[in-house]
Amino acid sequence: MAPPLVLDEDQALELLAYLVTAARTQVDEAAEYGPMRLLTAAGRLAAMIRPRASEGLQDVLAGPLGSVPPTAVPRTGREAYVARLDGICRELAEHLSIRFAPGCRTTVTPG
Amino acid sequence: MNPVLRAIRTRRVVRTMSDQPVAREQIEAVLDAGRYAPSAGNRHLHRFVATSDPAILRVLRMVSPGMIQRPAAAVTICIDQPLAVEYGFARTSPGLYVDVGTIAATMLLAAHGIGLGAGPVSSFSRAAVGVVLRLPEGWSPELVVCLGHPATEQPPPMGRRPSLSWRDLTRWVVRGPADEEQRADHDREA
Repeated sequence: MAPPLVLDEDQALELLAYLVTAARTQVDEAAEYGPMRLLTAAGRLAAMIRPRASEGLQDVLAGPLGSVPPTAVPRTGREAYVARLDGICRELAEHLSIRFAPGCRTTVTPG
Repeated sequence: MNPVLRAIRTRRVVRTMSDQPVAREQIEAVLDAGRYAPSAGNRHLHRFVATSDPAILRVLRMVSPGMIQRPAAAVTICIDQPLAVEYGFARTSPGLYVDVGTIAATMLLAAHGIGLGAGPVSSFSRAAVGVVLRLPEGWSPELVVCLGHPATEQPPPMGRRPSLSWRDLTRWVVRGPADEEQRADHDREA
């Protein structure tokens, strides 16, 4: 079964414009704005796809990803910032594993 | 407290705005304040482009990564580059950009003064904004002042840092022998 379509053309175009123009502005901006712009794009994408997303994905989108303030930069509290991003990455990876590689497990290497 | 000083102290950058529209008269009041901002040589080499059209604002936001808020109106401060050249300014002359700042500061205060929320945005594609706003040839968009009614909840300010007083930011230049306090400052710094 084909996965559900969760993004319409207008939304995709809006995100495309954001990403392209952010690439341009980032040339002149402080490096710390880089992760902020990417997270803003991720946050907007999450907000766009959430209403039509499947149940499991909706849970992920409603999690920490959606709670990152749009003004957060790794200027002060860098460790906490990194820890928060790592947490989001882990949660996403967990969802990806369940969705695309169910039953994934480790085994002991045969001796 | 003096009402102007109170306005300066209480103004905040507004990054979340409600859907409530901004009245045309309010936008005009902000534009009029911008016209009264200090301008190098009183030359007025800047031009303003205003819109409250939701569709145009939507597209403007799409090409402005720094526009976190969804404004009900926006005023874009542009430099009329051909006019600036005519006056003898180089394109990179700092004075032109200082004036953008003073205009923006004046507009932000004016908006605050009439009960609007406002936020400056400088992170946008100049090329794209020029197209979206149909700017005349030679007008370079430098800063967008977003206008709207503040939403109840605002995101935290960027990069929290210790609160600085004017004393932290200021050095006095004086003449004559250093008094005890200055000597102590000097010794501490040494």
